[in-house]
Amino acid sequence: MRVLHYVLRRLAYMVPVLFGVTVLVFIISHAIPGDPASMIAGPKASREAVENIRKSHGLDRPLVVQYLTFATGLLKGDLGTSIRNHRPVTADLADFFPATLELTLASMTLCLVIGIPLGILAAIRRNRITDHIIRVFSVFGVSMPVFWLGLMLLFVFYRNLGWLPGSGRLDAVLTPPVQVTGLYLIDSLLEGNWPIFVNALWHILLPAFCLSYVYLAIITRIVRSSMIAVLGQEFITTARAYGLSEAVIVLKHAFKNSLIPTVTITGLSLGELMGGAILTETIFGWPGMGKYVVDSVNSLDFPAIMGFTLVVALVYVAMNLLVDVLYAVLNPRIRY
Amino acid sequence: MKKLWLSLCIFLLLIAGPAVAEDKTTLVVGVSSDIHTLDPGVSSDNYDWRQIYPCYDRLVKYKVVNGEGSTEVEPQAAESWTVSDDGTVWTFTIRQGITFNDGTPLDAEAVKFAFNRTLTIGKGPADNIGAIESMTVIDPYTLEIKLKNAYGPFLQTLATDGASIVNPNVMQHEKDGDLAQAWLAENTDGSGPFTLTEWTRGQRAVLEAKPDYWGGAPNIDTAIVRFMSESADRRMALERGDIDIAENILVDQIPALEKNPDIVVKRFPSQLVEYVYINCQKPALSDKRVRQALNYAIDYQGIIDYVLQGNGVQMRGPIPKGMWGHKEDLFQYSLNVAKAKELLKEAGAEGLSLTLIYSDRRAAWEQIATVMQSNFRDIGVELNLELMANPTLRDRVDKGDFELCLGAWSPDFADPYMFMNFWFESDKWGLPGNRSFYKNEEVDTLVKKAAVLSDQAERVKLYNEAQEIIMEDAPYIFLYQVQTIVPMRKNVTGYVYNPMLESMYNFETIAK
Repeated sequence: MRVLHYVLRRLAYMVPVLFGVTVLVFIISHAIPGDPASMIAGPKASREAVENIRKSHGLDRPLVVQYLTFATGLLKGDLGTSIRNHRPVTADLADFFPATLELTLASMTLCLVIGIPLGILAAIRRNRITDHIIRVFSVFGVSMPVFWLGLMLLFVFYRNLGWLPGSGRLDAVLTPPVQVTGLYLIDSLLEGNWPIFVNALWHILLPAFCLSYVYLAIITRIVRSSMIAVLGQEFITTARAYGLSEAVIVLKHAFKNSLIPTVTITGLSLGELMGGAILTETIFGWPGMGKYVVDSVNSLDFPAIMGFTLVVALVYVAMNLLVDVLYAVLNPRIRY
Repeated sequence: MKKLWLSLCIFLLLIAGPAVAEDKTTLVVGVSSDIHTLDPGVSSDNYDWRQIYPCYDRLVKYKVVNGEGSTEVEPQAAESWTVSDDGTVWTFTIRQGITFNDGTPLDAEAVKFAFNRTLTIGKGPADNIGAIESMTVIDPYTLEIKLKNAYGPFLQTLATDGASIVNPNVMQHEKDGDLAQAWLAENTDGSGPFTLTEWTRGQRAVLEAKPDYWGGAPNIDTAIVRFMSESADRRMALERGDIDIAENILVDQIPALEKNPDIVVKRFPSQLVEYVYINCQKPALSDKRVRQALNYAIDYQGIIDYVLQGNGVQMRGPIPKGMWGHKEDLFQYSLNVAKAKELLKEAGAEGLSLTLIYSDRRAAWEQIATVMQSNFRDIGVELNLELMANPTLRDRVDKGDFELCLGAWSPDFADPYMFMNFWFESDKWGLPGNRSFYKNEEVDTLVKKAAVLSDQAERVKLYNEAQEIIMEDAPYIFLYQVQTIVPMRKNVTGYVYNPMLESMYNFETIAK
């Protein structure tokens, strides 16, 4: 019951946070010098053409009025119309968000599936060769520039070896599955279209790894250090004295107690993965929100920029909440 | 467990296989930018026109001479036309038997509807056909167009994307008086050789050929436009054969492609020029001797050889080579440090400090800015570089809030008007075209007179006269004309480059 209260309270806090985000982004994006009307009108447009567009998009109204229009729309779930392509921003996000979500979830999966075992392995083989190799691997991950890594992955696995497909979510000649969730891996299965599923899976491997590498490395390091800390504690010695097997000690007793920092970092990573997918999406021609927001910024498409920011802010806030709730599950001593 | 994993992997590998675009009926083009809108009445962007243009017919089309694109036009949906002596009334006879996808005939009413729609929407494309005052349907296949005044480039503007003939029935999709803009932004409804059947944002657009197209069936069945924003991606996909044509490959990646026996790299002189706006209204730059000195300071050939790696030619006057009105023997500045210093001394402008603004819109600009900085240092001018986002840059150009600025320009229709009138008419100051805020009444008179004449020889004479004055006044630094590089797989045939249709493809005649 207490947890429920806590969650409700936290959900209520989200309102001022998101309101603050919209105000801030609105001010910042309008502070950029530039004229969206002239961006849409094209490079050689006459003054009349630019004025027509300014009027038809309501860009000639005072900023406060523009913000209020946006805010009222938001309350009704309407993010406004993109200046660039005249579509509702919600429709654009519905097109681009699933691609980012799919990539982010795939990356997160890789982070956990590879990062946690590596971290544990490094901790129990501390200061031995396995540990050193894993540490080098994670130092690489933290320090490698994403655009370089992405290009190298494509160069080696696509261009030279031909083992994996190039950029994009599917081969150019394949028709995407009918949109249900927007996640190709799921939609293709719902459609029962196995070749599309396989092609989509093949396509997501490189970008997902590229995007995950940094966080994978961080997770590996966090798991390693917190496992080392836990393994040095007295209850582990006690467990050993009881004669428990090493596997039970490591996986059941030590790992569970080292999870709190891992959960924190994982939760935050999901938000960061989503917001930070821009470079990966560009290199791998991944049609997600990263590419969309870069184009929006380039054409000063305010409603689109606001929509993107809101979505990312929402994911961050939600992940924070989830992490805080998970703490209580992991450590019953934590009370709300 | 291990066995299960292994067999699963092998299974996946087996069914995945390479999906190379081997089949001869599908052409895949890897391009750098997605579509913004598919509405010919709205778009001012070649990346949109790439998909729009093949889906529609226009009254006239660009001629192809010996397999090469030209800037002259010939009949397409119009069978023939006549023009009144004063050049203000054009009468077009429309070809009979052309129909839109739903069977509606393309007739005089349809043309009138399409032009009116573009003009009413009033966005970029309306500027191109803005000379139209009124239209009268004489009979179902005869349309009379009255112009506000004689307008030399009129026929040329009818070959532009904005003059595409849209099916009048599109109005059934109209919402809240938007002239079906919302619907046409995502669909096509024309009588052209292709129809757009799929547009998956950020991924691809699919154009299906019409086997019964009145002008003959295209050679391919399907053209797929694949959006890939990274140049390296497009290059690798071309090398692997996943795409047939790759556009906008960075010049430093071209030599590697040229070594590949499966790939042909084609080069064409484009009408895209890059130049520097000199803001003539800034006190330091209002003296033409200073502007001339800056023109003498630039190492033009050095920029072409090293920054562009040879993929360009120095401009000679404002009108590029390949456009009629280009004057091959016109005076052109070249590197002359002594002369530049002398001019600065005469003008009493030694120790000048200027700022160049530029954006990252074109890959070469960063390097060109650095070269200019070093060139100007040689004549004793300090050049500060200011890189900014394109929207900010455009805003500052429009307001005249700059001293020097790097720019690029390509003509929308094949007429020197695109350069001479846009760049030098004093009522087009700022973004519309005269970006050096230049004003010379003599030039104004000459270019405005040339614009309303229909006699080409007479117009050339006037433009020539204006060009001489302009070179003397030096309101811009004319850098170079870009060479368009189009790498493609060796088996692609029938590609025709047209400088007026930059980044667009003649899908109707390409074969594989």
